[in-house]
Amino acid sequence: MSTAYIVDDDAAIRDALLWLFKSRAVPALAWQSAEEFIEDYSARMAGCLLLDIRMDGMTGLELFEQLQARDCRLPVIFLTGHGDVGMAVSALKRGAHDFIEKPFNDNELVNRVLIALELDARNCRERADLASVEARLQQLTERERAVMDRILAGKLNKVIADELGIAMRTVEVHRARLFEKMGVKSAVELAQRLARRS
Amino acid sequence: MRRAIAVDGNLPPRAPRWAWVLPRLAAILVPIVIGALLWLLHHNDLDDQRTTMISDVLWLEQNLRFQMERNLEQLRLLNIDTVETRATPTYDARAQALIQNGSGLVQIVRLDRIGRLRSVTPAAAPDQRQRLRSLAVFTEASRRAVQLDKPIYSKPFNLDVDDPCFAIFVPHYNDRPADVIVGVYSVHALLYQMVPWWFTEKYRVSVMDANGATLSSKSRVQTSDSDLSYQVAFDPPGQGYTLAVVAYHHGTRLLPALLMMTIVLLTVAILVSLWAVKRHVQRRHVAEKALREEYAFRKAMEDSLLTGLRARDLDGYIVYVNPAFCQMVGWSADELIGREPPMPYWAPEEMAQTLTVYEQIMAGTAPHEAVELRFQRKNGERFDALIYEAPLIDANGVHHGWMASMLDITERKRAEERYRQQQDKLQFTARLVTMGEMASTLAHELNQPLSAISSYATGCLNLLDDSNGAAAAESDVVHTLRKVVAQAQRAGQVIRRVHEFVRRREPMQEPCAINTVVEDATGLIEVAARWRGVRLQLDLAPNLPPVQVDKVMIEQLLLNLIRNGMDAMAQTVADQRLLVVATVSHERGVCVSVSDRGPGIAPAVAAQLYEPFFSTKQEGMGMGLNICRSIAELHHGRLWFEERANGNGTTFSLWLPVE
Repeated sequence: MSTAYIVDDDAAIRDALLWLFKSRAVPALAWQSAEEFIEDYSARMAGCLLLDIRMDGMTGLELFEQLQARDCRLPVIFLTGHGDVGMAVSALKRGAHDFIEKPFNDNELVNRVLIALELDARNCRERADLASVEARLQQLTERERAVMDRILAGKLNKVIADELGIAMRTVEVHRARLFEKMGVKSAVELAQRLARRS
Repeated sequence: MRRAIAVDGNLPPRAPRWAWVLPRLAAILVPIVIGALLWLLHHNDLDDQRTTMISDVLWLEQNLRFQMERNLEQLRLLNIDTVETRATPTYDARAQALIQNGSGLVQIVRLDRIGRLRSVTPAAAPDQRQRLRSLAVFTEASRRAVQLDKPIYSKPFNLDVDDPCFAIFVPHYNDRPADVIVGVYSVHALLYQMVPWWFTEKYRVSVMDANGATLSSKSRVQTSDSDLSYQVAFDPPGQGYTLAVVAYHHGTRLLPALLMMTIVLLTVAILVSLWAVKRHVQRRHVAEKALREEYAFRKAMEDSLLTGLRARDLDGYIVYVNPAFCQMVGWSADELIGREPPMPYWAPEEMAQTLTVYEQIMAGTAPHEAVELRFQRKNGERFDALIYEAPLIDANGVHHGWMASMLDITERKRAEERYRQQQDKLQFTARLVTMGEMASTLAHELNQPLSAISSYATGCLNLLDDSNGAAAAESDVVHTLRKVVAQAQRAGQVIRRVHEFVRRREPMQEPCAINTVVEDATGLIEVAARWRGVRLQLDLAPNLPPVQVDKVMIEQLLLNLIRNGMDAMAQTVADQRLLVVATVSHERGVCVSVSDRGPGIAPAVAAQLYEPFFSTKQEGMGMGLNICRSIAELHHGRLWFEERANGNGTTFSLWLPVE
């Protein structure tokens, strides 16, 4: 389930943001410090991260850097006062998803969070797809793989049969098996699925 | 009294080296020449004496010879008479007379033809006659005289002990044989009787035999030296005898000796005085050299001073300036010496003040500490000088004038001003940083509750919006609205805290004269004004009622306005930079106005003038006028500005009520 994770040291802000997300039916969770969030963080978290830059203890930027070091893929939206726009921009260049200056338009904030959630969901799907393609490729036999390479090169069944020194009928069987294992219905679909991998 | 001190250090030149050669040469030559002269004179004297002595000796010898000739003649006559007359008594008498005559004869002996002794005069004792008879010399001589028939002198013999004698044998030379008369001479007697007294006074006369032994001497006194002596052979009578004459002394004559002595003394005196003069001159040279060096040293010290020195006489004329002074003012020493006030380096705009100081100095009432004056250089550049004036009193304690040392403190003052400006800027920056910090904190503090409020409100609106479709419990919305109120109050608290912080310093209001405040404020900024070339003019109304104000705050306000006015005139022509601060009684209060001659305030700017953080200056933080207005309002006064007539600058006015 995609969730908006909020890290802010101001209780009122946390409460208000939770109320705001609730009003738009966006699931949200809040932490009062970066340290506590780091403790609870797991790679299975899905959604987006709302980080206040100015906090007591570890700042939002430091948290962002630590998460990057842990290969966290969550999109990060920085919430900044006017004093730390520069920091926010530099964070953006280092891979942050967005930054929103306080005071913000609240629904606009929710919209941007929704975009980030969608982005994260898509990223998750893609990562899952990629993983499944790999798994399917592992199931192919030597012969099926050779046939697949030639199909991707755009060769006809007859040419493939000649090259491999097998009957055209056998090529067709391999082809059907291969398509079934890779979960595709046509050569075009196969090409698309493999292209994403690279 | 107008007098220039001529100091050029040109002492009379040293005497050339060769000038001393002549006196030295003279000092050497004079003793030599005088010595030579003395020697020559002495030599001449000796020569003279010798000549005199020789002639004396010759005269003596001739005299002796002459006397002996006479004796010979007498003896012959005696012999002839005796032979002719045979009168023995007559012979005795005449022989006696001959002996007593004092002609050197001591005995007259009569011998017969064959040499037998016939008589002896004066009568001798028989042993003496025997002795005469036995004398070989005697017999031999008498024989020869008879044979030759002419007078013969005998060889010397001793008649008695230590009585050398010789004799003359006179034969009767007629054709028949006759007696021989013998005249015996004693050398002693001869000398005593025949040498005159004056001769013996000068010389020691002696007779010496062939062996050089002295037979007889007229004087027993020995002469000290024998360089002046003369010997003549006493021959024939002596037969080997010598007549020797020695001068007793070289007759040193008194007058020439005295003369010589005087000359020598004078020469010594001259030499001594010459030496004294030389020593004196040498000492003078040493003293002169020391003086020269001392002078050069002092001059070098004076010239290398960075402090300008100037001496004036009692009438104020410049009598001396050192190079540092000339360099400071740009006029040369020749142009300055002899000048009377006003001096060319007095700046025209400071003339009155300079003249006052000058008159104080001349009257002797000038303050002892340094005076600061603004002068101009020859090229018109102005500079600030620090002058110490002191009476010029010579070694005798006579007051001749005034001595001043002058320091160019332009650079120093500029540095001070720069430092001050830098400090200002620093302070300004510090304030700016503090304010920025404060503003940033404030913004953050307010942002938080406002953001929260906004989020709560948006959430509420979202729930109330039907299209969103999410059901909301009424109690939830109410609950959230309470939170909104709480956050709004939180924001209010922040604002109140800020206000309290600003309000913390209450003004210390006390009654004071506004003119004093204005004077104090302008006094603080006078230096800065001078450096910016802005003239400050005070136009203060008398008898203004006292106002109840915080003096420091009002001063700050005025300083701000004056500084703004000066800044406004940065582009104004230099001699137009006039800032007038005026006080006047106005509407139950007093009004202070600050008028500049700047370009005025553009309408667009005028509208924003009091807006916080608005500034027309690059470095301004836009709080100045804002604060000014706050101060004015704190005092229940007003602050406003208006364009001056025909756009010639701006006037800011502060009105303060009088209770």
